[in-house]
Parts: sequence; C-alpha cells; structure tokens
Amino acid sequence: MSKVIEVKDLTKKYKELTAVDHLSFNLEEGEILGLLGPNGSGKSTTINCILSLLTMNEGEIKIFGKEMKPNAYDIKKDIGVIFQEVAVFEELTVYENIDYFCGLYINNKQERKEKVEKAIEFVGLSEFKKFYPKQLSGGLLRRLNIACGIAHEPKLIFLDEPTVAVDPQSRNNILEGIKALRDKGATILYTTHYMEEAEILCDRIIIMDKGKIIAQGTKNELKELAGIEEKVTLEVENLPQEKQEKLKKIPNIEEIKYEGNQLMISFQKGENNFTHLLEWLKQEKISYDGIYSEKPSLNDVFLQLTGKELRD
Amino acid sequence: MIHQFTYALKSLFRNKMLIFWTFAFPIIMAFFFNIAFSNIVEDEKLDVFPIAIVQNQEWNNDEIFQKSIETLGKENSEDRLFSLHYTANEQEAKKLLEDEEITGYLIVEKEEPKIVVKKSGIEETVFQNVIQEIEKQKNIVVDLITQKIEEQMKQGITTIDQEKIINEELQSVQEKGTYTAQKNENNHLDYTMIEYYTLIAMACLYGAILGMTAINNLLANMSTKGMRVSVAPVKRMKMIISSSLVALVAQLIGLVLLFAFTLLIIKVDYGEKIFPIILLAFVGALAGLSLGVFVGTVLKRKEDTKMGILIAVTMLGCFFSGMMGITMKYIIDTAVPIVNKINPASMITDGFYALYYYSGLERYWVNVISLIIFSIVLIALSTIALRRQKYDSI
Ligand SMILES: Nc1ncnc2c1ncn2[C@@H]1O[C@H](COP(=O)(O)OP(=O)(O)OP(=O)(O)O)[C@@H](O)[C@H]1O
Ligand SMILES: [Mg+2]
Repeated sequence: MSKVIEVKDLTKKYKELTAVDHLSFNLEEGEILGLLGPNGSGKSTTINCILSLLTMNEGEIKIFGKEMKPNAYDIKKDIGVIFQEVAVFEELTVYENIDYFCGLYINNKQERKEKVEKAIEFVGLSEFKKFYPKQLSGGLLRRLNIACGIAHEPKLIFLDEPTVAVDPQSRNNILEGIKALRDKGATILYTTHYMEEAEILCDRIIIMDKGKIIAQGTKNELKELAGIEEKVTLEVENLPQEKQEKLKKIPNIEEIKYEGNQLMISFQKGENNFTHLLEWLKQEKISYDGIYSEKPSLNDVFLQLTGKELRD
Repeated sequence: MIHQFTYALKSLFRNKMLIFWTFAFPIIMAFFFNIAFSNIVEDEKLDVFPIAIVQNQEWNNDEIFQKSIETLGKENSEDRLFSLHYTANEQEAKKLLEDEEITGYLIVEKEEPKIVVKKSGIEETVFQNVIQEIEKQKNIVVDLITQKIEEQMKQGITTIDQEKIINEELQSVQEKGTYTAQKNENNHLDYTMIEYYTLIAMACLYGAILGMTAINNLLANMSTKGMRVSVAPVKRMKMIISSSLVALVAQLIGLVLLFAFTLLIIKVDYGEKIFPIILLAFVGALAGLSLGVFVGTVLKRKEDTKMGILIAVTMLGCFFSGMMGITMKYIIDTAVPIVNKINPASMITDGFYALYYYSGLERYWVNVISLIIFSIVLIALSTIALRRQKYDSI
C-alpha cells in the first residue's frame, strides 16, 4: 500500500488561535480515514490546508508523493472535494451543476456526459435532473453537492461533514455511496463529528481535539483506550441504596448509574464480567428486564482522553 | 474555456436579480423619465422667462458673457430664451426677485457668474444650465480669440478689430447649436438629455454587479463555489478572464437594449457621432466591470452585501451626475469638484454631454481617458489581490 497523503507537522494559526497544531498523519491507498472531532477541532482547517487553499504556518503536505501546491494541476486532476457547505449554482439545474464542475476536470464532451449521468445515478438523483437546487430537499441537495465533487471519478476524495443536517434516509444513502466509492478503488478522507458515522464507515479513525490528534487507530484499537470493557444496562425496579453499594463490590466494576429504572454498569477489562453480574443478581434475588451489553463507544474514548463528551 | 463561458452565461441570464438591475431597471427608469418629461413639455411649454442682470464692473468687462446673454435675450429671435432686465446693483435685482418679477438674476463676482433663484423649477434649471454652458463656452471662445489675435499680430496686422473677432467667434460657436435650450425635434428639452445620459452611466456601472458575481464564484476566499473551482486543475486567470468576458458581453447586451429603447421608443438624441458614442459606452461598461471585479476581489463581504454596495454606489454616482435633476451636478461640481472627477457615472454622463453639445472632442476625450484610467487603476489593484493563491483565512 502506498501513501496517498502525507501530512507532516501541519500547523495553522488564525491570528492567535492555533486551529491545527503540529498534525501529522498519512492516508493509505484504498482506505477511508476518518477525522473525528467536535465542532471547532480543526477538521475543515486541516482539509483546506492539505488542499493548498489556506496558508500554513508550518508543515509539509504531499499528495501522491508530490508536494501539494496551488498550481499542482497534475495532483488536482485526481482529487475530488466535497466541502462542508453546499456549493452549487442556484441558476443551474442538477444536471448542469454536475456538468459544470465535472467540466473543470474533463474536457471531452462525450466522456463527460457519461460521467455526469453515472454520478446522477450514483447519488440517486435521476428523477431530479432538471430540478433547480431550490426545489431539492436538504438531503437531496447534499447528494447533489456530493455528485458535483465526484463526477470526474477522482482517485482521492475529501468529504467534509457531508451528512450534516441530513435526514436518516439520505444519510444512509450517502454513507453507502461512500463505501461504494472506496470499493471501486478511491481513497477517502472523511471528516465528521458523528462518532457513529466514523464507526460504521471508517477503516481508520483519527480523533482530533483543539487541533491536535489525541488518538488514532481502527475503531477496535481506539476502544481499547476507553479504559472500560463493556457497559451493561438493565431495567430494575426499586433498587435500594444498600444493594447498589453491594453491587459495587463485584470485581472490575468501574462505575454504576441508576436513573429511573435504568441501571447502567461500566466494567473495566477483566474475565467473566457479565457472568459475575448475572450470578450476583440471582443471588440477591433481584428481578430485572431487558438486559443488554454494549462495547464502549468512541464517545467513551473521547471522554476518557479529554474528560469531556464528544457530543452533548 | 467555452464550457466555462456557456455556463457562466447561462447562470447569469437565469439570475433574476442580476437581470433586473442590469437590464430592466435602467429601461424602466428611462420609461418613467420619459413620462415625467413629456408631461413637462406638454403642460409647461417653455416660454421666454424674465431674468435680471446685475450690471456691475465685472459684468461690464465681460464682453463675451454680455454678447451671449444678449443673443439669448434678443427680441424676435428664434433662440430667444430670456427677457432681460438690467439692474445697477444687486439690491435692485433682489427686489425684483422678491416681487416675482423675474425668475432669477445673474451677478458676476470674482470672475464667477453666480445665479440667484428663489425656488427650484424648470425655468430655474434652464437658467442655471444655460449660464453654466456659457461659462464653459466662454473659456473655449477666449482661447480661440487669443489664438486669432496672436495670429493676426504675427502676420503684422496692427489694427486688430477685437470686437469683430469676438463677434465672429461667438457667431460660429452659436451656430453649432451650443447652449440653446430650444426644444429638439423630439420634443425633449435639451437639458433633460443629461438625465438619459445618466441612465446609460447607470447601465454601465450596474455591470459591476455582473463582474462582482462572476469573480465571487471563482475565489476560494469569497465563496464555497470558489473553493471548488480553486481545487480543480484549471488556471485561475483563465477562469477569471473568461468570466469577466461573459460579464462584459452581458453588460453590452444590456446597453444595446437600453440604447435601442431610448433611441427608438423615447427618441433620445445622442448626437450624430456614432463611433465616439459606441466607444464611450464600451469604455463605460469596462469601468463598470472593473468596479465589479475590484469589489469582488478586494472586499470580503457576503455577495448580497456587495451587491447592495454596488447598487448604492451606482445610484449615488448617478445622482451626483444629475440623474434626479441637473442642479445636483452643479452643486457637487462647485462644492466638492473632486467627487465628480473620480465618479465614473459623471465621466460617462459628461462624455455623452460633451459629444452632444460640443463640436470639438477635447472634453469627450478627457472623459474617455478618465474612464480608462479609472478602469486600469481598479484592475491593477484587483490583480494584486488576485495574485494570492492561498489565503490566511477563508
Ligand atoms: N477564518 C477563520 N478565522 C478565524 N478563526 C477561524 C476561521 N475558521 C475557523 N476558525 C477557528 O478555527 C478553529 C477550527 O475551525 P474548523 O472550522 O477547522 O473546525 P471544524 O473541526 O471543521 O469544525 P466544524 O465541525 O464546526 O466544522 C475554530 O476554533 C474556529 O473558530
Ligand atoms: Mg468544519
């Protein structure tokens, strides 16, 4: 596998504010790499620096092994970008918008026509070809925005929070689409502040906060960092305080929370945690409903590393 | 390039706001001006009106002024515009004005003709216009006369008949139809012409909106569309030039429409000098485009805000050059002359005015060249800004 993007020591300051702070990472060919971080953590700034839209204070960017510059057209021709904000012409139809942006990459008319049709098909806008952006719902507009960025079939695709404010149906469509792009051979850099998305979609995740990388790896590797092994939730009516205290004595219990009828127990790593709990419940003759166990989420990882929630 | 061109054209012609301001609005204004002016012409046929002249020392020394006014006050003359009262001092003239015996009076002080009127109306405007014109013509005539006299002296003629030379020169200037406020064949008072000229200026300058929008769509620090274009493997200057060309083409189409409307339907008289008229309109359009490119590249505001700014600047510029009455132009020209020296609307208006009123092209060229300088300066400033390919902040 070769490195598609190499970022070394990227630092970007807006006046005093350091938006990106000595960031280094690589993007390997054929993977979907997620940049996950809360609002303002520097995701868009990172992308815009990589794309040579923003000046940087420090650092080195290589794409396809070559230094990225504003006039590096041989690099740019193989890149597709979907920016965070929708960027389409209100006066052009769905088809025309895609054709316009695709035309910045592909001159041959016939070839372009095929690619545009393919892109429209791909994002599921076939019925809306002649529609103007105003006539599209938020979700469909996002899909158009994506189609405009990928119609020329780039090898490397940047997607900056493409699912913000999108209904679940469109969101699934978009996420499936991105996987399909990867399966067809594209390499993808994806930013989001939705941890579920990062978990579902990304082969590898970089968690950012305040412009710095705080953790990176596959989702399973990251979850190792959460400090907890699993979370068990069960419904119990009227659990007295003394029982709760007793419960805490079971080995490996990190924390318990009891709210309403929901009893939530976090376990540290250890053997047979779940079995120990079940035995204890039987022994204490506590009746319960709907018990289920979860692996820790990336939110738990974030919480563990920064002391704050990824999302409120 | 063609791809870019066709899409820019398409998106431009489908943008209702742009079409309204650059195409429709000037024509609508022309239409309303026409209604307003034809009412004036029908209801208040411009009769000879009374004015007073204060015969102070300066007046008595100003032969050219005297002759000109006399011609316009000559009884039984076709060109007669004023009935003249002469007063010995300003008090008397003031009294006549108070008693509404006269529309206004003229007093020459410190080599400047000053007009005093009581209210603002058609006659007052005509009066002001005419005097202004005479003053301008006077300077030309003085030059001509000086030349003539010098020539005669060189030829060794010692008995120079100054009086005769002055009369001849005045005659020739007047024959060219200068500073007469008679009605032209289309029933427009000549002084309303300037308001149509301001409309042309307005159409030229509204082209700025087209230029600004085109640029905004290409620059990464101005719009997300611009970010898209900036990450594509296309030469930026090529994009900017082709988009600007589209804006210029659209602007010229708008101008052709406005000219067609004012020429054919309203029958505004632009004079006979076709080529200079076209050149002036073209240079005017260029100035408008440059203004748009400048605001598009340099000003970091929302597109709507920039559009508002351009509309306001254009309106104000046209207002200062006489769109809502020529009095405003005189006030600005005397009080803050610098404003109209850098006001492109004024350059365009004055260019047309000079073409229509003057036989020589000197004043016309001053305006054309000013417009070219205006454009070059703005384009140069924009180019400096456009050379940046990466931004500190977007
Ligand atoms: N043009 C700018 N000028 C000054 N500060 C900026 C500018 N753009 C971003 N910032 C600041 O830089 C930091 C990083 O912003 P950035 O947009 O990169 O974050 P992000 O991770 O993309 O956030 P979001 O999820 O909200 O898109 C934030 O604190 C933001 O306020
Ligand atoms: Mg962002």
